[in-house]
Amino acid sequence: MNTQRLRLYIAGRTAVADRAIENLRAIAAALESTGWTLEIEVIDILERPQLAEDERILATPMVIKKLPPPVRRVVGDLSEHDKVLIGLDLRP
Amino acid sequence: MPASNHQDPASDRASPHPSSPRPPTPTGLSGLDAILRGGLPAGRPSLLRGSAGTGKTVIALSFLCHGIAQGETGVFVTFDESPEALLDHAEGFGFPARADLAAGRLRILDMRPQPNEVQVGETIELTAILARIGYALDRLESPRLVLDAIDALESGFADSANLRAELTRVFDWIRERAVTCILTTGEQAEFSARYGLEDYIADCVIALRQDVKDRIMTRVLRIVKRRGGGHGANEYPFLLDSQGIFLIPVTGTTLQARVSSQRLPTGIPGLDAMLGGGGPYAGSTILISGQAGTGKTSISSSIARAVCDTGQLVLYISFEESMDELIRNQGSIGIDLARYSDSADSATGCAGTLVMQPVRAVEFGLEEHLMRIIRSIRVLQPALVILDPVSSLSERRDVSGAKEMLLRLLYLIKEEGVTTLATELLSDDSLGVSHLDVSSMIDVWIKLRRLENDGEMNRLITVIKARGLPISDQVKEFRITPSGLQIIDPYMGEGGIVYGTARIARLAEDEETLEQLRLDLDRAQQLRREIEEIAAASERLNRAERDAKAADLDRQIAQIESRLARITRARAAIKRERA
Repeated sequence: MNTQRLRLYIAGRTAVADRAIENLRAIAAALESTGWTLEIEVIDILERPQLAEDERILATPMVIKKLPPPVRRVVGDLSEHDKVLIGLDLRP
Repeated sequence: MPASNHQDPASDRASPHPSSPRPPTPTGLSGLDAILRGGLPAGRPSLLRGSAGTGKTVIALSFLCHGIAQGETGVFVTFDESPEALLDHAEGFGFPARADLAAGRLRILDMRPQPNEVQVGETIELTAILARIGYALDRLESPRLVLDAIDALESGFADSANLRAELTRVFDWIRERAVTCILTTGEQAEFSARYGLEDYIADCVIALRQDVKDRIMTRVLRIVKRRGGGHGANEYPFLLDSQGIFLIPVTGTTLQARVSSQRLPTGIPGLDAMLGGGGPYAGSTILISGQAGTGKTSISSSIARAVCDTGQLVLYISFEESMDELIRNQGSIGIDLARYSDSADSATGCAGTLVMQPVRAVEFGLEEHLMRIIRSIRVLQPALVILDPVSSLSERRDVSGAKEMLLRLLYLIKEEGVTTLATELLSDDSLGVSHLDVSSMIDVWIKLRRLENDGEMNRLITVIKARGLPISDQVKEFRITPSGLQIIDPYMGEGGIVYGTARIARLAEDEETLEQLRLDLDRAQQLRREIEEIAAASERLNRAERDAKAADLDRQIAQIESRLARITRARAAIKRERA
């Protein structure tokens, strides 16, 4: 069993943000069968701007995977699932 | 993507169009504020554009740190340089940036695009930028904001199809936010044009440029636009070095110099006498022009010493001699400048009154020279500044530019209320004509000249003019002796005006002639007195002679008459005897 914690930063519930959440959840569901579990935390930086500051976020939606290092960051609506997996280094 | 989809953080509290214009926000750079008629438009974005190394970041940092020094707070958003580098810069210019950061007066938002980010999908949102800036501004209640090198965003998100719309939204938000803001961009006209930065977003546009002429670089600044306020329209040169930004308006100078009735001693009694007996007025502009070896530097040093002796500060800017040379050379004529220098023994009481700055004329452009001199004057506040020789600035350059710069330099020093002593080196074939052509600015003009005659060189000194002073209009002789400088009245006599050894010779010649003439005069006067007596004597003689002659004749007549009488008597007696 392999659990990965991901944080998805959005800036308000925009259409792009919703698409990114959907895409990330779909990716998580697809990974379930391979024995990977993605724990996804969605953070709205409009509510917690200090977190955007801490992570030096300029653009959203942004997925950040901190562990294991190195830090992986993927920005955009996450519509191409394969590229997301590569970008986050989530290939089982 | 429609912009209405976005929720703009913290923009609700900003009034998009302030009803009444607020007073401008000073940048703290006095020269720039003067050109901007007070400062940047308050509550509005201003654009600062220029290529790398033109000083955008330094100006923006100064603007922010100046506000903090005035008790405000500031937010600096960097898209290019690291926060550490910015803190180093600010501290290098004397702003306590790290302390401000720790105390919560300054915040630096690191918005450098991260190259390791992977972009998936074509759309991104830049709301995070607005959220972070808005959050920082709110937390600090900051009236000042800087977005430095904002064009770096474009290259950071080059893959995004909607980047243009997003950046436009960022700029609109900044404009709506009503904070006094400086945006800086590189000199890429397309970037500011693409986002309407110059036309629409910014109320004030300042362009920075590097001008390279004769292999010497000068930085210039120009206000391209200033909405709702006046501004100087010229290109303004400015300094950027370890002391920060320094800029003085080119033609904003006005004649508002303080007028002083105080006099400045020259340390040369004869020269004081030529200037009405008290030396030139303090705050005046003095030019000493002369060919090589006529003693310009010696007179300058003498005046420097005299002013230092009064405890006032003198700034000696030497364009030819190094300080050590100057001290040694002037020591040979009895002027000990070393005792006034900073390193001198403080027991003399005058140590530190002479600040000497050797400058190589070729080192900087004219404008940079001007700004460095003015900055030194503002920092040191001397009573007298000596520019020796100021003509070295105009050598090997365009003469009109040098003249214009020199006039402005003299104006500016005058405005500071500081006396200027400039020397001008005339070439040997100049026939004594000044090439600087700045006489309108000169209050006191002293001309030195060489007179070569009979195997000897004499130095002559004339006061061409001295505004407000009764001056000597005589050309006098000027001597550099081991015991100091002397001014000597020339020989004036039958043969004209003569100087030097010839003067002594002529004086000796005159002595002989006078002696002879005096003898002649005595003789003549005696003759004149005697002539009556002689006449009278001869008269007496003549009369005596005449009388004597008459008496003699009378006697002869009497003798002849008595002989005749005797003869007549004798004849009569004989006649009677015979008869």
